[in-house]
Amino acid sequence: MDAVERAYPDVPTTGRALPAFFWVGWRWISRNPAVTITPILLPFIFLYFLSLISPPSYRPLEIVGAMLFTMQNIGSWVLGDSALWRIECSLQDLFVASPLGRVRYLFGIAFSNLIAMIPALVVLTVLLAWVGGSDGHPLTVYAGLVIVASLGVLWVLFSSIGIAISSRVRTQREIWPVGNITFTTLGMLSPLYYPLSALPPLWQGAARFLPTTYAALLAQGALGITPATPDQMLLYGGLLAACAVAGLLITFRLYRWGEA
Amino acid sequence: MKSEAEVRPRAFRGLPAFLWTEVLVQIHEELAMATSMMVQAVLLVFVWVLNPGLIGVALVGAVLFSMFAMGQRVLNEAAYIRIDHKVSDLYLASPLSAEAYFLGMSAGVLLVYLPPVVVVGVLAAVVIHLSLVEVGLLVLLAGTVWLTSASIGYVFSTAFRDNRAIWAYSSLFFNIFGVLPPVFYPFGLFPAYLRPVALLMPPSAAAALVQWAIGVTVLTRPEVYLASGGLAVEGLGLFLFAVYWARRTVRGE
Repeated sequence: MDAVERAYPDVPTTGRALPAFFWVGWRWISRNPAVTITPILLPFIFLYFLSLISPPSYRPLEIVGAMLFTMQNIGSWVLGDSALWRIECSLQDLFVASPLGRVRYLFGIAFSNLIAMIPALVVLTVLLAWVGGSDGHPLTVYAGLVIVASLGVLWVLFSSIGIAISSRVRTQREIWPVGNITFTTLGMLSPLYYPLSALPPLWQGAARFLPTTYAALLAQGALGITPATPDQMLLYGGLLAACAVAGLLITFRLYRWGEA
Repeated sequence: MKSEAEVRPRAFRGLPAFLWTEVLVQIHEELAMATSMMVQAVLLVFVWVLNPGLIGVALVGAVLFSMFAMGQRVLNEAAYIRIDHKVSDLYLASPLSAEAYFLGMSAGVLLVYLPPVVVVGVLAAVVIHLSLVEVGLLVLLAGTVWLTSASIGYVFSTAFRDNRAIWAYSSLFFNIFGVLPPVFYPFGLFPAYLRPVALLMPPSAAAALVQWAIGVTVLTRPEVYLASGGLAVEGLGLFLFAVYWARRTVRGE
């Protein structure tokens, strides 16, 4: 990089990456409206299906689950974008040669995909406030903050998982199945759409190793859907943070940036 | 110099060769094969955890949805071959006919992705204790659903110019028509005023007929006629349209 600066002193070496990626995200959804509709409709299709087969008391829990599942699926979209740009557009070489580091690149792609998910999250939040309020689980400021914090942790963690996997994908045809199998499996193993206690003991044990489980327990506890003491909430928060840190360490080991 | 009519290949020429080509291509897509039952598995898990009493209906629904979802595979494959690999022109410049290209691709996808569907079908037969006649009905209806969705998938694939947009649109289409209507749950749980619509959608029409045959759902005689007649007309009509569309888009006929 020093050599580049010496050779081309007038070339800017800093820039505003996030606004640029915001435009990438906005252009993508403005040109392909279905990209926005799909993440909104898919959780609703699941919610509709669940409303037919599960007790009505589970509805707030299922809406929170849909919010967490939507946020987790950003990882799949980050994987898709990053792999497509690297494999088909050969754009990653350009980013690697630029002053943009790999962490800013990760946050840029994660941010651009968050833009496409925001409409779904807003609709689900309104629905949660409405259904939760009528079912005795109001969306208080405290509950809102806990949910936003949980969603934020999942956003960073699953985006980094997505980009780490994308850097290992070799062909375009692998992108969709790899993303689908990784993120759907992680989502289904966690108690997003059902209480942890409804799962068989072996499954409950496996779910306790996943960060999404603690995000779900935190959100359910804050809303009063699954009762939790303040100490339990602190424990869930700590375990979510620990899982996220462990996950980030692993994904940053896997994440290839500018390597052959 | 031969006229266009003389060089035009006979109908379905090259079908076995292209079918085999597609089988060989698809059989190397281990990851796609592993994910082919993902949505079905998710919905079966939902039912198993939240309402185990409906697992039989959900297993039948999984068979029919799997056949319907093969249309999405056909859509992806046809679009990949044309947009990403850019070999469709090469295939179609050969003596292979346009309709054999469409049907060979669809049948190749079917052959490779069928084994897990058969496993789910056997599970359904064991759980619900299906008779031979009911198994025959399920196979017939599943085949019709496949023909319909493969035709839709191929026709839709010709509309895409960008690989990145395929997933969003195809996922939306196949999930709306495959998950929302009563495929994985009893027909009776669907709102009464929307039932005629469900009986006109291939996967839910097939599911309603199987549920009626095994006694899970009560259908009136007009509803049975609507579901079976609609399915037959949609299957045959969409297949013929896909053949016409394949010829038209490929050779400009």
